[in-house]
Amino acid sequence: MNHEPKIVGFLCNWCSYAAADLAGTSRRKYAPNVRVIRVMCSGRVEPTFILKAFQLGADGVLVCG
Amino acid sequence: MASVRSHESIELLTYSEVIEVSGYVGNFKVKIRKKPRYVDEIKCTGCGTCQEKCPMKADSEFDFGIGKRKVIYTPFPQAVPNIPVIDRERCTYFIKGKCRACEKFCEAKAIDFEQTEKIIDLDVGCIIVTTGFDSFDPTPISQFGYGRYDNVITGFQFERMSSASGPTGGKIVLKDGSEPRSLAILHCIGSRDLNYHEYCSRVCCMSSLKFAHLIREKIPDAEIYDLYIDLRCFGKGYEEFYNRLQEEGVNFIRGRAGEVTDIAETPEEIGRLVVLCEDTLIGRQRRLPVDMVILSNALEPRADAGEVAKLFSISRSKDGFFMEKHPKLDPVATTTDGVFVAGCCQGPKDIPDTVAQASAAAARVMAMISKGSVEIEAATAIIEEEFCSGCKTCIALCPYNAISFNEERKVSAINEALCKGCGTCAAACPSGAIISRHFTTEQIMAQLEGVLT
Repeated sequence: MNHEPKIVGFLCNWCSYAAADLAGTSRRKYAPNVRVIRVMCSGRVEPTFILKAFQLGADGVLVCG
Repeated sequence: MASVRSHESIELLTYSEVIEVSGYVGNFKVKIRKKPRYVDEIKCTGCGTCQEKCPMKADSEFDFGIGKRKVIYTPFPQAVPNIPVIDRERCTYFIKGKCRACEKFCEAKAIDFEQTEKIIDLDVGCIIVTTGFDSFDPTPISQFGYGRYDNVITGFQFERMSSASGPTGGKIVLKDGSEPRSLAILHCIGSRDLNYHEYCSRVCCMSSLKFAHLIREKIPDAEIYDLYIDLRCFGKGYEEFYNRLQEEGVNFIRGRAGEVTDIAETPEEIGRLVVLCEDTLIGRQRRLPVDMVILSNALEPRADAGEVAKLFSISRSKDGFFMEKHPKLDPVATTTDGVFVAGCCQGPKDIPDTVAQASAAAARVMAMISKGSVEIEAATAIIEEEFCSGCKTCIALCPYNAISFNEERKVSAINEALCKGCGTCAAACPSGAIISRHFTTEQIMAQLEGVLT
């Protein structure tokens, strides 16, 4: 039961990425399971990115924006 | 303001409103509605006869309701330009079709009831938004009795009362015309209060101290109470001013007032207002009988801040004021290139800070103008024309209207000055003809591999 899921997060530069950044500067913690990829807008995310993430072994994909 | 008006390179448009903004930095197109004054600005000499002769009166907005103005009026004596305006909603001529007293007495023949609004189109390179603030209305905080007791007034009303050109000619008077013997100044009304505004309005500590000083000057033997949570005398010379007031015999009480009431418990309280508070430094409840209560009310975003923000495509922070690009590194720019903010529309601030921010905004604009060119973000999208099939999918999706269609070559074209590099077009392009620079498909795939293996 020690499984730690790998999650890829596509975060919008202006909101969710800014929020993740703010969490850092405010010294708040969030789970390290999410691996953040910054995009200028969640509109940049193509379906192939998500499929590629699963193909590479991701357990979940988070598109935030 | 007078020197701004007489400056040869500044065109001052008063009594006008921006109704539409389009374009981008260096090429903004602004539509302005110039409202009718019903007074010819060229003919009017500013003699003021019309204001003397006008038979109708209304509450003066500039005096926060404690003074009157005529229906043809200038908001205050030093207003620029010194040209009156007719308040259409209250003017007898506009309501009943009769009067025209101002027209009869105007020697310059400047009154023009036929004037209509004008739409002005301007091409501008940069915009500075300096729309200011509204004063917080303390009526909802019913325990302070504003609007219920005659002699509970706001700081702004007191300011007008103590002004030599104000409705009382600078005399501090109660509603019945007599001079108050004791006064209480209550800080943080609507600010630092989770029920209203969480932020500190920054100017009220110092303006409250100024009020106390003015009262001491005009009524030397008055008893003055200053009720504060904390005194924030942060500026140059401010702490010294606070020390001076302590020497002038102002009673500073650390504690927020709980209530203002007219229910007397002792003979000396009869017919007066009583401020109930806890003096936290001596740990005791107190009742302060006073004649006048001044509420140092908060500065808040203007009621139309939402519409103005939309008009200029700028955002607002949690407190409702306009948001700067970066709170520390870029406090005058906004997220829209070429639009700057200065003064209280960005957040409450005092006069020195406003002057500093406005100067900074003006300098930023001057720097852009004198440079003649604008640096734009490198992260924009580009179209590989040989792959573009001309399906126009991207044009409809672009949130910044940056893509147009080149009819001659049957391909889409991106205006790099408008493109913010969001990449929506790149993701949607069925032919894969759009490259989102710095966020190309290859780069993102490589990042995916990097984080997952």
